Amino acid sequence: MEQFLYYLKASLISIRRAPLPYLITVLILSLGLGMFFANATFYYQLNRDPLPHKSAQLFFPQMNLVPFVAGGSKPIQVLSYSNVQKLAASSIPTAQAAMYSTDSYVRLDASQPALPVKLRATQRDFFSMFDVPLLHGAIWPDNSARDEVVIGQLLAEKLFGHSDVVGKTLLIDDRIFTISAVVVRWQMLPRLYDANNRNHTSETEQLFMPLETAYDMNYMSATMSRTLDDTDYRQLSTQGRTGALHQLQFWVQLDTPAQQQAYRDFMLQLAQSEKAAGRHPSAVNNQLPAMRDIVQYFAADSGDIKAYALVTLLFLLVCLFNASHLSLNRYLSNQYEFSLRRALGASRWQLQQQMWVDVLLLTAITVLLSLPIALAGISLMNYLWPDHVLFSQWDLSLLLTLVLLALGCSYVVTLYPAIRASFGGLNQQLKE
Amino acid sequence: MSLRLLFKTLFRRKMVTGLLLVQLALTLALLLNSLLLANQTRQQLNAPTGLDLANSITVHVRPTTKQLRQYPALGDLLARQLQALREVPGVVAAAYANQPPLRQGGNQGNIFKVGAEEQTNIPKVPNYFVSADFMQTLGLTLLAGSWPQHHSGTTEGARPLVITESLARQLFNEVDVVGEQLNHGTVAAVVSDFYGHRGGGGIMYNYLSVADLYSVDWGYTLLLRVAPGQAERVRSQLDAVLRQVDSNLEIYYNRTFTEQHRYLFETEFGLAVLLSLLSGLMLMVSMVSSYSNAHFHVLKSQQEIGIKRALGASKQLIFIELLSENWLTSGIGCLLGVLCAVGLNQALALVISIPVISLWLPVIAMLVLLGCVTLATWYPARLATLVSPATATKTL
Repeated sequence: MEQFLYYLKASLISIRRAPLPYLITVLILSLGLGMFFANATFYYQLNRDPLPHKSAQLFFPQMNLVPFVAGGSKPIQVLSYSNVQKLAASSIPTAQAAMYSTDSYVRLDASQPALPVKLRATQRDFFSMFDVPLLHGAIWPDNSARDEVVIGQLLAEKLFGHSDVVGKTLLIDDRIFTISAVVVRWQMLPRLYDANNRNHTSETEQLFMPLETAYDMNYMSATMSRTLDDTDYRQLSTQGRTGALHQLQFWVQLDTPAQQQAYRDFMLQLAQSEKAAGRHPSAVNNQLPAMRDIVQYFAADSGDIKAYALVTLLFLLVCLFNASHLSLNRYLSNQYEFSLRRALGASRWQLQQQMWVDVLLLTAITVLLSLPIALAGISLMNYLWPDHVLFSQWDLSLLLTLVLLALGCSYVVTLYPAIRASFGGLNQQLKE
Repeated sequence: MSLRLLFKTLFRRKMVTGLLLVQLALTLALLLNSLLLANQTRQQLNAPTGLDLANSITVHVRPTTKQLRQYPALGDLLARQLQALREVPGVVAAAYANQPPLRQGGNQGNIFKVGAEEQTNIPKVPNYFVSADFMQTLGLTLLAGSWPQHHSGTTEGARPLVITESLARQLFNEVDVVGEQLNHGTVAAVVSDFYGHRGGGGIMYNYLSVADLYSVDWGYTLLLRVAPGQAERVRSQLDAVLRQVDSNLEIYYNRTFTEQHRYLFETEFGLAVLLSLLSGLMLMVSMVSSYSNAHFHVLKSQQEIGIKRALGASKQLIFIELLSENWLTSGIGCLLGVLCAVGLNQALALVISIPVISLWLPVIAMLVLLGCVTLATWYPARLATLVSPATATKTL
């Protein structure tokens, strides 16, 4: 410890001798790290796997079940009600759920102003498939239509002032619904179950309604719906159940490779039987992307963040070269000091220890300075790209990465100059 | 001053020079691509829209009760809302539409000439249901036919259609196509182009029906044209005016067309701003590097400069010599930078839409970089001229 303090003191004396070059080195390194880290935060959060233990077992089946010859390399992104009925007939998946998102208005009684709430119309298995944590109550026992909803803790507290609201009623578009369960404050980021229209960057819904009830209430999808025949989309409860009105996302859970292969075979058989019945005029093009690949599959990843990541990496490199350059000048100016130490008997190992203390000191100052720069960068990015605001949070692993990165950069910045300064010809240096 | 000697001097400090070259090359690469992206965004934002952006407003709303979302209550609500909006001082015209122009996507349909679907089909064409005042509100020009009467009833079937000039030319190769049959109805009029959907079949392709709103499941838009300079004042009143008409209303947004247009290019605008900021920072970092390099070199070469001065070199020659060293470094850095810029351009093109580098752009970027480097090395070069010839005697 005493030795460490001595090296620290020596480092501080060296900094005090020429503070401006050191300050510029630190500022430039912090600037590079701060800008890089700001974008790395978004990149990391947008690309993280929200269900790492399960994302390889959840699949989004896609088929060309449309009433015309479909072009394009991929089937249409959403399914019709009748398509889902056909797919749901399989008993292979461990769990399966169809769903879509819509807009609704909620109030406790008719005298209150309506509160706009994003609603997810879905089926029972949704909650187990995506590990939705329940605070109170229980999920619907089956997928049939019922005037019961599951609400988020945040909405419960907003409407009732507390979260234990199971059994209470509310009005959704002037129809009375009973609350059957309350979901814990839950934010699946990114929201991969809704990636087909780049909606995976939005907030999780606060209201969940049985899909059959939402169809009965003629709720259209708020994000993506396509009518591929003469179906009148205003008649969702009737024509929407039989016609080619595509708006449903459908997820299945296939735990084992055997299940996955069996499901692929089932899809192929379904396509062939539909083709034989004249309901599948397109070429068979079944797809079964897993949840962990779904953003890539729909090409829904943020090109802007990727492009900026590349550029901030280059910027970090430039800052690193610049800091190395400045550091080299600084060490060469102090070369006499190194030589004197060596002449007085200091070993190269001791000089390396000194260098390590320099690295640690540089790391500490750089981390402290780069954090406010990163915060400023994140604020600017939130202002320019408000759609990504949910992905600007830091967590412990991100902060640790920053510290390690700063340590690595400081080491690189210090390494060559220190070696150059300590390995020169002793006599020549002392003469200079 | 010989080029060989300049190279020799640079080679003597190969590590420092190497680091500087890499920095300069990367800086030029980023600067070039930022300029490219900023220019592309500027062109997109300045491209003609066919709309009076500064004096038009869009308010996207949705009634919060089911009753108000269906005719006849919806028809009554629309009439009351338009009446109230027209009474706001500064409002010149008001209309409704199922969706505003200047959007990424929305209500679209495919359109084709009856009997020639395979040859003429255009997918993803924005489909508007609008009120009679739509043409006046958007300031469109009638190019052929006559603006149709309001078509009552909410059926999707055959109805008089208005199409934009670009769509008419794409389908029929001419503008005077009144009476022609399309899959959604008969062409009644052709109007001047306006920017519809960015993600549509063509940004100026649009077809309209002067009719009741087919559905308001996704809300509807109230469009206003205001007197010049009145947009902000009118806009600030709109929420209150509409809520006074009926409080059962969700107002999604209330924007001028200028804001709506900028919103459409938000991603590109954001990236251009961020890249420009980074380019500025990189230039600054490169200037620091050039300054530090020149300054350190001057300090280390005082005796050499002193000898040169003692042997008759003028102050001007010393000054030019130091600047030349930096110009040479910058020149090599710029040449490497152009190669890096092409590489970066190709890497960026994999994830975003970015044009290829034109010939004139590297010249501008090089001039900017050379200017910055010259500015950064000016002071150290001036310092070098102050080295006295007497310094040479200290080496003896």
